[in-house]
Amino acid sequence: METKEKTRFKHLEKWESTLSACIRCGYCFEHCPMFKYTGWESDAPRAKIITAFGLLSGELEPTKMAADKIFNCFYCKRCEAACSSGVTLTEVFTDAKKDLVEMGLKGPGTTSVTYMNCARCLVCVKACPHEARFHGEDGIETDPVKCQACGICVEVCPAGAAKIENNFGTGREDLITESSRFLSTHTSAKAIVFACNWSYFPDLQASRLPESETHDKDYEIYVNMCAGRLESQLLMAPFLNKAWGVLVAACPEDECQHKNGNTRAKKMIQGMQSTLERVNIDPARLQVVEIPAGDKTLFQAEIDTFIDRLNSMGPIR
Amino acid sequence: MIHQKGIPMKSVDESKLREIFGDNNVKTDPSDLYAFGSDSSVHHAMPWAVVRPDTTGQVQKLMAYANDALIPVIPRGGGSGMCGQTVPIHGGIILDMKRMNRILEINLPDVYCRVEPGVVDDDLNLALKPHGMFYPPTPASSRIATIGGEIANNASGVRSVKYGATRDAVLGMKVVMPNGDLVTLGAHTRVEASGYQLHKLMVGSEGTLGIVVEATLNFVPIPEYRCMGIANFDHLSHAGGAIGAIMASGAIPSMLELVDSVAIKAVNKTMNLGLKEVAASLIFEADGMVKEAVDYEINKMKEICTKHHGSDIKTSYDPKERAKIFMGRKKLFPALSKYDDSLSSTSLADDMAVPYSKMAEMAGKIHEVAKKNNIIMTAYGHCGSGCMHTKILMDTNREDQWASAKKAITEIYEYVRSVNGTTSAEHGIGLSKAESFKVEKADSLKLLQTIKQALDPNNILNPGKLMQAPEDWVTATGLRYAVHN
Repeated sequence: METKEKTRFKHLEKWESTLSACIRCGYCFEHCPMFKYTGWESDAPRAKIITAFGLLSGELEPTKMAADKIFNCFYCKRCEAACSSGVTLTEVFTDAKKDLVEMGLKGPGTTSVTYMNCARCLVCVKACPHEARFHGEDGIETDPVKCQACGICVEVCPAGAAKIENNFGTGREDLITESSRFLSTHTSAKAIVFACNWSYFPDLQASRLPESETHDKDYEIYVNMCAGRLESQLLMAPFLNKAWGVLVAACPEDECQHKNGNTRAKKMIQGMQSTLERVNIDPARLQVVEIPAGDKTLFQAEIDTFIDRLNSMGPIR
Repeated sequence: MIHQKGIPMKSVDESKLREIFGDNNVKTDPSDLYAFGSDSSVHHAMPWAVVRPDTTGQVQKLMAYANDALIPVIPRGGGSGMCGQTVPIHGGIILDMKRMNRILEINLPDVYCRVEPGVVDDDLNLALKPHGMFYPPTPASSRIATIGGEIANNASGVRSVKYGATRDAVLGMKVVMPNGDLVTLGAHTRVEASGYQLHKLMVGSEGTLGIVVEATLNFVPIPEYRCMGIANFDHLSHAGGAIGAIMASGAIPSMLELVDSVAIKAVNKTMNLGLKEVAASLIFEADGMVKEAVDYEINKMKEICTKHHGSDIKTSYDPKERAKIFMGRKKLFPALSKYDDSLSSTSLADDMAVPYSKMAEMAGKIHEVAKKNNIIMTAYGHCGSGCMHTKILMDTNREDQWASAKKAITEIYEYVRSVNGTTSAEHGIGLSKAESFKVEKADSLKLLQTIKQALDPNNILNPGKLMQAPEDWVTATGLRYAVHN
């Protein structure tokens, strides 16, 4: 039997027994937005645990590709909620990231970056719920270990200088494209539902249904990492594609995983409802509802109520 | 034979793979290969490449190339196998089937559905639910297990006592053979007597005979009524007597689970559930479309438990009460993982089947062997289908614990075979269970190898598994733990 030699991963080292305790059942897969986006098992949380073990044991070289595996994470913690062994996966990832950063292997991951048009107003620094943004030698910088890619900096930046490095399908343009495609390909389509990752616990996500089962769908759900990241341009896009209404699901008061993303979303939607009213569109066509994490029953009930209301209103004329 | 240890590694023509699958569906970086070297077992070995087919044609092209170039191909579903079935012991190409995940047809009048192998079990059930139907095998890993993987391992679960295993639900399939040929096996009908039942041969073949690219599956109606009950027993033998009596009574439980004292203690310790710490508990369930019929069956099971000295017996139709009754069993998996920070829960010798009359004796044997070898083992399982699960809790970093585990497992399998039991009930053989499998099937090993040789003459499909697996599972591959002297 081989005894494996360890390399120096001083932050990761303390998780050695945890890496053994993970029974590698894979129950974390279905909940991972990264797996949902790439479809590659090697991007899913279990693979990150396996990668961490490989790095710690010295079986896997600490390369850029290996580092990317660890850095590409939204910190939604769905994997932890689903873990049958009670492993705090994101804490393991954070310590692995610390070691990798010290080795100069900073992966781009899902972190926020700042472009040339930054006015250094520090609004994003103040708004960041994870204290990941700071004024460094090169202007506004992001700590890649602390950043959890909620995207609130993007929403608050008045200059459009803050960007998420890799959206992995959850960015504004991705969601506009996908929701437009749904509205244009489903004759019975009425509504688009934008849900934060905690409000909606996706059921069917890996497999594809036959056309006969989906052609009469009247709504589609799209998930992003935080309601605080929703922008007015994204919420208005479905109306331009003949949607009857848009529903937003956010965490209840004081339950936002990114401190105040939910309240930001609610304020913005209130403002947009006023705008809709001014152009003679019923503001009830844009609604925000509070869904506690994983409450599928309430989520479905809110969608059904919203669709009923839209049916009574009819299409926008 | 080209894939034995010591033979130089064959190289893969990466450009050929990219030509067949496109750049986005081929992985060759070590960081990806390392992740695909594991499943839910104790084993690890590096593949040479991973590819993701989207069409049957791509699978055919790959097999034609691999058969010609003599490269091992290992089909893989959710990677939830617990015995190393998808660990590439001799390297080769991992064929990740998760992208072929279309539910092709739900045919209600003919009561079958057609699916691609990458469809996830729970997803299929979600699609069937609006029609009032479900796909019954449902292993515990149904949230990630794919239909292809379930077919490869003849998966089953808590309700298999009434509804059967995967083999009972499979009506037919399309299979790509090792040389790239596509064949249609079985039928779309409930019964078939048209020659060899080759689709059934594929069930449980662990990816060694062909690659399932489409399956036709039977489904059943979701019952209107479910009633669950629990009974505690002060002696394992009393619980054992109740199991046999229930199964022989004419009542058909939709679930009959045994949980032993070690399991109850583990759940209480880590989850603080406050369950009564008895020698064993039986959880039983009846379901059906007519309440009177369910009443009849559940009452019969209650009577039998009482007769066999069961105590604290309660039953309920209420979903919340049912969830409470099942909580101890449901929380067992995480409870064992959290039992002790220095111990890991390993899947070894974890799903043997024995005759009903031996279930309780088997649990006692597990306790005896664990004590003798200074490891912790628990006994629980789907006793209604004769399946006993165990988990070995041990310090996986200590080499001596592996030696103890190996000794304990050998003793347990000797007992299983001595009472006409079988090595695996629902997880398959892979690498971890090959030692006992070979002893159990000694007089048919040659026949198995003849079938393998006839269908896969170049031995490229998942070589080194089942009857080809090494005798010693501990050294068969690298272990996925940091083992110290």
